[in-house]
Formats: sequence, structure tokens, C-alpha cells
Amino acid sequence: MADILQILILGLALGGVIALMGSGLSLVFGVMRIVNLAHPSLIIGGAYVTYWAFKMTGVDPIVMLPVASLIMAAIGVLLYRLMFERETKSAKYSEMTVLLTFALAMMVEGLLGGLFTNTQRVVSPDYATDAFFIGDLFIPKGQLYAGIVSLVIITALSLFLKYSRLGYAIRATTQNREAAELLGVNVNFICILAFAIGIGLAGAAGSLVSFVFSFFPAKHWEWIAMLMSVVVLGGMGSILGTVVAALLLSVIAAFVGTWIGATWSTLTFFLALFLILLVRPQGLFGEKPEMA
Amino acid sequence: MTELLQVTNITAGYGDGPAILDGAHLTVEPGKVHCIIGPNGAGKSTLMKAICGMLTIRKGDVVFKGKRLNGMRPDQILREGICFVPQERALFPKMTVRENLRMGGFILDDKKELERRIEGILERFPILRERADQHAGTMSGGQQQTLAMARTLIIKPAIVMLDEPSLGLAPKIVQEMFDIMKMMSAEGVTVLLVEQNALMGLKNSDWGVVLDLGRTLFEGPAATVLADPRIQELYLGGKKAA
Amino acid sequence: MAVTLDQSSASAVVEARRAHNEKLARKADQTRATWFPLAVMAILIALPLLQFTGNYNYLLHMVLFTASHVAMASGWNILGGFAGYISLGHSVFFAIGGYFSGMILARYGISTIVTAPLAGLLAAVVGYLIGMVTLKVRGPSFIISSIALLMIARILFDNWELIGGANGVTLPVNDLPVQWAKIPYYYAMLAIAAFTVWASYKIKHSKFGLGLRAISKDEIKAESAGIDTRFYKVMAFALSAFFVGMAGAVWGEYLTYLRPNIFLVILVSANLVLMSILGGKGTVAGPVIGAILIVALNELFVATMGASEINILGTGMVMAAGLMFFPLGLVGTLARKGKLPRVLNWD
Ligand SMILES: Nc1ncnc2c1ncn2[C@@H]1O[C@H](COP(=O)(O)OP(=O)(O)OP(=O)(O)O)[C@@H](O)[C@H]1O
Ligand SMILES: [Mg+2]
Repeated sequence: MADILQILILGLALGGVIALMGSGLSLVFGVMRIVNLAHPSLIIGGAYVTYWAFKMTGVDPIVMLPVASLIMAAIGVLLYRLMFERETKSAKYSEMTVLLTFALAMMVEGLLGGLFTNTQRVVSPDYATDAFFIGDLFIPKGQLYAGIVSLVIITALSLFLKYSRLGYAIRATTQNREAAELLGVNVNFICILAFAIGIGLAGAAGSLVSFVFSFFPAKHWEWIAMLMSVVVLGGMGSILGTVVAALLLSVIAAFVGTWIGATWSTLTFFLALFLILLVRPQGLFGEKPEMA
Repeated sequence: MTELLQVTNITAGYGDGPAILDGAHLTVEPGKVHCIIGPNGAGKSTLMKAICGMLTIRKGDVVFKGKRLNGMRPDQILREGICFVPQERALFPKMTVRENLRMGGFILDDKKELERRIEGILERFPILRERADQHAGTMSGGQQQTLAMARTLIIKPAIVMLDEPSLGLAPKIVQEMFDIMKMMSAEGVTVLLVEQNALMGLKNSDWGVVLDLGRTLFEGPAATVLADPRIQELYLGGKKAA
Repeated sequence: MAVTLDQSSASAVVEARRAHNEKLARKADQTRATWFPLAVMAILIALPLLQFTGNYNYLLHMVLFTASHVAMASGWNILGGFAGYISLGHSVFFAIGGYFSGMILARYGISTIVTAPLAGLLAAVVGYLIGMVTLKVRGPSFIISSIALLMIARILFDNWELIGGANGVTLPVNDLPVQWAKIPYYYAMLAIAAFTVWASYKIKHSKFGLGLRAISKDEIKAESAGIDTRFYKVMAFALSAFFVGMAGAVWGEYLTYLRPNIFLVILVSANLVLMSILGGKGTVAGPVIGAILIVALNELFVATMGASEINILGTGMVMAAGLMFFPLGLVGTLARKGKLPRVLNWD
């Protein structure tokens, strides 16, 4: 029983981080219909920013989070304007943007590899190796903090989307781009903004990832299918769905990892992705199969 | 000249595609109801999209209150005072009726004023108040169309362009849509209407425009259009006397 | 009387139209420069003679490497170009081919050149089965499912003890003198590449190919026009897996080892996509031109800048630039402008 509880706790804490990793991906798809395969590579970009800040000045990764997030958001604006804005009129938009983000992922990986080599890195603030003990249960502090920060950021994001004027505009653009435009929303600006927020979330996730996982430039391939499974299961574009799916899948993965073997725990995500695409492509929360 | 909006000989199309409109013109006078008729594929919707800035105008001019609108974005044209309700998919299906109305006033900066106007709309359309917290996508076709039309009233535009508001609605509901339209007109909103049922559209309008093959064939008082034998034969389904 | 007159005049018009179309087709045939690919083949077949005059192993390696990619990219193009289903998981079939023939070589000493068609067949069967499932979705969903497929295969191969797990298997080296050691694989790969391009041409000009193109344009219309889209797509998937599998089989022995991190990496798939797009997706010559360009470019990057990171960066940049500025690829863009040289018009 204590065993099960322990696995559950570890799974949930990790799930919180994965939820943040996936939420930017989901937002960008929701608003712009871009399946951003480069998202995990940009998370790693954020992780490197945090890593070097820590190494050079000792600044805490969680303190560094807003900075990393802003830097990545600025990069996001640049990327959107250079690569994606011009594709909005392309006939094969969705296919085109998937391939473009794929190319972008390779560019980011190559650039990071060239700059920082393929050595595995991890940021190690004190709490990263510490844990709380409650009876027989132990809760690693690093994962716990990361999970909590993630959920705080996602809550803030949801509130922003739900109540602010820009949030209205973003949601409206997600649901009906044309109608939003006709009601006075500058949809191109909204797309730039949403992309910036999406990539900014990648930066934020990068700061947390930097002390939860070890990372290197090519690591993003392992994450893309994992995040895709979370986002697709959650119903692409739904932030709440992404969170639920992330928690669900990482708990399942934690059980698979403990009971069957660590190598098979990642397989949980890939198999889930495969099954969802085939059985219910619209995901748990999506209402119609928008991408099928 | 008393015209509010003047469209002169415009050419427009989708993307790099062929010109769908070629030689379309239109005069909109303040306070009147204008009805554009023409067969399917004539370019009626395309004309409205060109006016509101969704399509690039390749040739010709759109002049509103003496100002040239060519090249402006839809959100800018809306701020000038031209509001377009497209043929379908005008609403945000996963937003509530109230949220949809709030989006209708997106360009208003004063939040209090916006809520006040939403309240006013809900006052006048009890059906919308009843369903204020329901997702728009789950309402009936007539209710959705009511919401789409009512929503335009929030910003009190100078011109409302309605693309086939009666599409797919039962005859009784269609009459309700025309009533809403007349109410808008009575409030001083100039209406530009596209109507598939030409007879009904023209009867409810002051001004008639016949569009075919992307060109304006005829423009004149609705009664004249209704009475013209050639137009009757070609576009009004034979000599069914009015 | 009037009726028969009308009918005969109508059939006269149809007849005239048919004659006109045939004339156009003949004309197109005459302008097609069949001699060009044949001449290139002749030169490549004669190329190993250079070994009598010195060591040209590097040159042969480059041709062999290019040929393998010509085969794989042309194979990928059957599904990705003709039918419009972009797969980023085709490394799986490369691995299936490589491992199947490689394991037979390791166990029974039968050269992969002999078993390559069987390897292709196995890849095709697997492709058929996977296609039955994944081709239900299209667009971005299909692309994502293909990545998931690759990830699943990687985990399975990494943990499958029988085939050496993550460490892979070392294959026996042939006992030819260094100078001639590459030659069997050289000819095998050349044959596979030529066969693939020929097959790709045949497929494109068949009723099947026409159906695939209809699917790529508008699947719903294709279906309502009476095309069994499901079967067509799955067959396209199987065929494209077949050619990639054959190339993989010979590649394994040439490399002398099998390892998941060589065969089952996304870069292999990415290169196929890149080659087809840059050359011209959906054309016969496109993947060939693309393969030559990308291999040359890779060599250039490696020669001038060394590190493989730069190679990845360069590949990404070329891919992005190609997509943004030449979405139709080299062959497609030139053809649209009517400037495609006759020697490259293989369609
Ligand atoms: N998004 C689009 N892209 C390309 N062509 C389009 C597009 N929308 C419409 N067209 C073409 O423009 C022409 C005119 O279409 P339009 O929608 O303006 O007709 P309409 O007069 O509104 O007809 P209806 O009464 O059916 O609504 C048609 O030939 C149509 O094929
Ligand atoms: Mg229309």
C-alpha cells in the first residue's frame, strides 16, 4: 500500500513538470494549428540558459525561470516572424508547418550541440538531491518544487486565458480565426503573442527540467513523442486536457517503470500516443477530430 | 453625394487564384436596407469579404465616409464602422453566449460600458438571456443566427453586412431574422444583405443589387428590381408576380 | 435520323479528342530523354574499373552511399510524394531490412545481397500491417504516429537480446582484397537504386499511381470517385517500405555491423523527407536529385566543419530554407516555370 502511494507521488510530481512541458505545445497548436516538433528542443534551450546562469553565478533555477522564459519568448517572436508567419496562406499549411518545426528542431539541436557539446548536464541546487520523509514515504524536493511551480504557472495561464482581454482574443482565435478577425482581433498579433507565450512556457519548463532530468542537445527526440502523447490525449489545444493527460500518463508510466522495468516506462507514452491517434484522435477533451 | 460606402469596379480573388470579382460596384446609402441577389457562386460572399478586408482588392476602390479602405486589415475596417456577419461559422462554439457577446465588443476599451451594452442586448433578446451561460455551439440554428446578429449591435456600427442570415432556417424563423434586421435598420444601422431567396430579400429592402459572374449587373430601388421583367426571369424564378 | 446524326458526330468528336491526346502523349515521349539516365547508369557501371588504376574507394563509397539514398528516398516518395502521407518513421523499415538480412548473414553466412529482396518483402509486410492501422489518420496526426512508431521500434530493438540489444551485432567481413571489397555492395546498391527509380516511374504512370495522386489532392473526392483509398494507401505504404528495406539489408553488411543507434534514428527518416522535398516531392527525378544534393552537402559540411552537430544544424537549415523558398522542390519549381531541362524530365 505504501508502495503504491510512493509510486503515485513520484508519478504526480513528474506529471506536473510534463504538464508544463506540454502546455506550450498545446497552446501553439490550439491557436495556430502548428504542431511544434521543435518544442522539446526549445525546452532544452531554456535548460541550457538556466544551466549556464547557475554555473556562472549560482543563481537558483527557479529564480532563473522568469528570465529563461522571457529569453525564449523573445526567440519565439523571432522564429514566428521569420519562419511561420509567411506560411499562413500556404495551401498545405499544417503539413508545411510540421516539417518546418522539424527542421527547426534539428537546427536547435545542432546549434546547442555545437555550442555546448553532447555531454549530459544537470543543474544541482541543494534541493535537487534532497527529499522530505513522511513515515515510509519519501518525496524528492526537486521534483516536488518543480511540480508545484508547474501547476502554479499553468493555473496562471488558464486564468489569463479565461479572464483577460488578450486571453479572450487568444481563445476566440483558437475557436474561429475568421470570426475573431471580423470582431476586431488582430489575429496575426495574437498568433505572435501565443507563439511567444508557448515558447516562453518552453523556457520555463526548461528551467525546471534542468534540475529534474539530465539533458543534452539530442535528448529532445525522446521527449517529443512523450509530449505529443500528452497533448494528443488531452485533446490538442486544451490546456486542462494536457494537465490531466500528463498526470495520468506519468502515473501509469511510474507504475510500469516500477513493476515491469524502467526501460518500458517511456514505452507507455509512445504506445498511448499510438493508441489514442487510432482510437480517439480528438483526445479526451477534444470534441471533433480536428487533425484527423 | 450622400453615399456612405462606394465600391467602384473592384477586382478581387482568393490568394493567387483567379479573379472572382471583376467589375463589381455598389453604392450604399445611409439608413437604407440594401439587398444583393444573384445565383450561387456569383461572388456575393466574396464581395462582402473584399469590403471588410478579408481579401486583397486588386483593382478598384472601396471608399467609406470619404476614406479609402483598400489594404486595411479587417480589424481596422471594423473600427471604421463596418461589421460583417459571415454566411456560416460566425460564432465561437465553445464560448458561452455571454462570452460571445463580450467578443462582439472586443474593440471597446471601456469594460463597464461593454457589460452595460451586453445587458441591453440580453434585455432585448430574452432567448439569449435564457441561454446566457450555454455554449454557443450547442444552440439551434435560429438561436445562433440571432446571437450573431445581436452581437453586431454591441458596437453600434455604421454598416452591418449580413451574408444569408436565413440560410438553413425554417420559414417562420426566417421572418424573425428579417424582423431583427428591420429593428437594426430602425436604429439607424445601414444594412447590406445577401439573400438567396431574392423575392423575400428584395421585399424587405429599399435598394436592390444584382450580382452575377463577379460583376454588378444592375443597381436600383428594390421595387424597380422586383418589377424588371428580365431580372424576374433570370433571378427571381420566372414571372411570379409580386 | 437526327438522333443517329448526333451520335455519330459526338463519337467523331470523342475520336478526334482521343487522337489528339495520343499525339500529345507521343510527343511527350519523344521529348523524354531516356538516354540520359541510361548513360549515367553506364558510367556508374564502368566506374569500378578505376580500381585498376589506383585507389578510388572513397569515390565508390560516395556513389554507393548516394545510391542507397536514391533508393530510399524514391521509395519514401511513393507514400510521401505520390499519396501525400509524410512519414518520419521510415527508419524502421531501414532497420527491419538491415537486421533481417544481417542476422541471416551472421547465423548462416548467406550474403545480404541474396536475401535483400526477402528483407524488402518482410519490410513490406510489416509496412502493410502498420499502414492498416496508422493510415486511418492523415495530416499532422499521421506524421506524429510515424514518429511514435519509430520510438516504439527503438525501444524494442534496444531491448531485444536476440539481436544484440543496444550494442547490436557485428557482421562478418568479406574476404576480398581491400581494393575490391566494396564492389559487390556497389553493384547491389546500384541495382536496387535503378530498380527503385524504374518502379517509381512505372507506379506513377499506372492507374494505381493516378489513384495515389488523387488521394494526395483530395482524399474524400478520390473515395467518392470510386477509388479504394484504404487499399491504395496501404499498398503505397508497403511498396515504399519494400525499397527502404532492401537498401537497409545491403547497407548492414557493407557497414559490417548492426546497431539501433545507426539504423533507428530519426535523422535517417529526416534525410529521406529532405531529399524528396528538396528535389521535388511527387516527381520521379526529385528524390534522385535531392539525394545527390544532400549527400554532397553533407560531405561538404563534414569536410569543412567536421563535427556532426554542424551537420545536423546544416541539414535543418537546408530543410527549412527548401521548405520556405522552394516548397515544390527543384524539379517541381523548374517544371512549374517550364524551365525543367529535358534530361531531368522523367515524369
Ligand atoms: N475560400 C475560397 N477559395 C477559393 N475560391 C473560393 C473561396 N470561396 C469561394 N470561392 C469561389 O468564389 C466564387 C464565388 O463564391 P462566393 O462564395 O462569393 O459565391 P456566392 O455568390 O456567395 O454563392 P452562394 O450563394 O453559394 O453563397 C465561387 O466560384 C467559389 O468557388
Ligand atoms: Mg455566399
